[in-house]
Amino acid sequence: MNQRPKLPGWPKLSDWNVLGLLPAHLIMLMTLIIPVGIIALVSFSTRGPYGGFDYVFTTAPYKQILFNEGWSGELEFNPQYLIVVARTVILSLATTIICLALSFPVAYFISLQKTSAKMLLIYLVTLPFWVSMIVRVYSWIIILGNDGVIAKALRALGINENMGSLLFTDTAMLIGLVYSYIPLMILPVFASIEKLDPALVEASHDLYGSRLTTLRRVILPLCRPGMAAGAILVFVPCLGAVLEPVLLGGGKTMMMGNLIQLQFGAARNWPLGAAISIVLMCAVMVFLLWRGVQAMRKEGREASA
Amino acid sequence: MSVKTRFSTLAAAGAFSLLASASAWAEGSLSIYAWADSIAPDAVAKFEKETGIKVTVDAFSSNEDLLTKLQAGSSGYDIVTPSQHFVKIMIDSGLLEDIGASSMPAFQQILPEWQKQWWDPTGDYSVPLAYGNAGFTVNRNLYKGPVDSWKVYFEPSEELKGKIASLAQPDEVIPAAQNYLGIPYCSEDPKEMKRVLDLLQAQKPFVAAYSSDNIENRIGGGEVAMHFWWDGNTMRVRRNDKANVEYAMPKEGLVGWLDSYVVPKGAANLENAKKFINFMAEQENATIEYNYYGHSSPVKVDASKALYNKENAPELFPTAPVKMSQACSPAAQELVTKVWTQLLQ
Repeated sequence: MNQRPKLPGWPKLSDWNVLGLLPAHLIMLMTLIIPVGIIALVSFSTRGPYGGFDYVFTTAPYKQILFNEGWSGELEFNPQYLIVVARTVILSLATTIICLALSFPVAYFISLQKTSAKMLLIYLVTLPFWVSMIVRVYSWIIILGNDGVIAKALRALGINENMGSLLFTDTAMLIGLVYSYIPLMILPVFASIEKLDPALVEASHDLYGSRLTTLRRVILPLCRPGMAAGAILVFVPCLGAVLEPVLLGGGKTMMMGNLIQLQFGAARNWPLGAAISIVLMCAVMVFLLWRGVQAMRKEGREASA
Repeated sequence: MSVKTRFSTLAAAGAFSLLASASAWAEGSLSIYAWADSIAPDAVAKFEKETGIKVTVDAFSSNEDLLTKLQAGSSGYDIVTPSQHFVKIMIDSGLLEDIGASSMPAFQQILPEWQKQWWDPTGDYSVPLAYGNAGFTVNRNLYKGPVDSWKVYFEPSEELKGKIASLAQPDEVIPAAQNYLGIPYCSEDPKEMKRVLDLLQAQKPFVAAYSSDNIENRIGGGEVAMHFWWDGNTMRVRRNDKANVEYAMPKEGLVGWLDSYVVPKGAANLENAKKFINFMAEQENATIEYNYYGHSSPVKVDASKALYNKENAPELFPTAPVKMSQACSPAAQELVTKVWTQLLQ
């Protein structure tokens, strides 16, 4: 094993001013560690008859994720929750990929503008964040619904006289997810394109690299960090999406967020809800760790090169 | 028709944030957590003027959300308005304050048939606010057929594919399915509940959405032809928005509910809460509330000032049997959840 790669900007322990950082540690403790601890505690507790929980240790909630009593009363493997998990991961991945594909040209276009136009465009990208998430997702109901903006436009143009509603489909849900999270992708990708040295692109052309080769061998690799950051920023909140499946997907199929909500609500099974939350959190953590290890390896390679 | 959107009810979407939003503990204030648009603002304004108590009203959109919030502790509310089966669950779980309801002036105003019912047999905890039932509403521009049975809703004809909407919660949908199948509420028999699941699964291809938000737009505006809904809401969208809708009277039975004022344990403004409950039960104020909310009133109202009667609001005077929903045992609730999870998995 070679030496552990040093993370950039990571202070040494001896530099830490314990008192100075105390507020930050307290906030971390109060808002992150204790709540997660409570969720973990609940996930190992026994459910109360009408919701709530009792502090009696059990691993039943975790077993319940995989095994359920069948309709004839015997305990059997039941993939129902795994299906929801798989759907969540697939939809989140699809959202991330679509966001990436759309963001790159947008960010590149923005980076080519004059400074003033650039500022304006970046401001416009962040503009939706000024409005509540619920309102933004709701507006898609008006756009996609029966007699919505799209249906009306198509009818006016005589293209499609009698199209069904676009609302309450998986496509609608995906549109909502992409729309909600795409600014989080555009901004880091834009930042990395901004840092791109035009001389390198010119050099590639000088060396008879075609446009495609330049994109593939020069631009994309140099923008990797921004794209990776954007992918994390989009993928992770997507895993916990609740609004889009309910409002645009019509609540017909659950994502993990809805499943957790159901457990705390109608199902009155808090420990199971907490257990699913923990599984979701672990999934996110594994993903981030994997990214982190990759980044560290890369740093290590660059450092030793 | 007007585009009415109810963002407030969507607050439930963030059910994880069990943070108490109300922080009214000061003297002279009162925090109410009620169904969206259920408390007449005119009555609240009158109460504030008469007593000088500052009232805040927040909205919830399902009994489950309310129960979860109370179980999480210190909700910060002084009055909440659960339905009958949740009143029973809350009393049994020790979540409510004994306000000695039966000795309050408000109690004298309650119609005899709604006094000391099974959910509050001693009459210590609750004073009823409104009652009604859950069934389904059809948009008459889109559906011309009969509406005398749950069959047209649960086993719809082919042209209704993607034109039906249900609710986001199983709380009333499953009892309705049980009425249709002739299965008792809160059945603990897995075989019977499997039949409920089979029925709902066969209906699913016809369902455009399982959503409890924004229903008036969806059914009034014609996004769907049939929607699981409530009596008074149908009446309001028909009268106020001139929507061509009709509330069905399924012969197998509607699902009855009654919402009550109750006080959560440890409420900061207990006396103000009782004042408000008494105030709302006074005949004049109950009439204001009845005219605003548009659901039947379990307390006496002034017939000369009441807006609704059998002729102009047939929704409120059901000709089909109404069966009040029950507080299910944990075993029965488990089966309900199982049906719902498998339906939406």
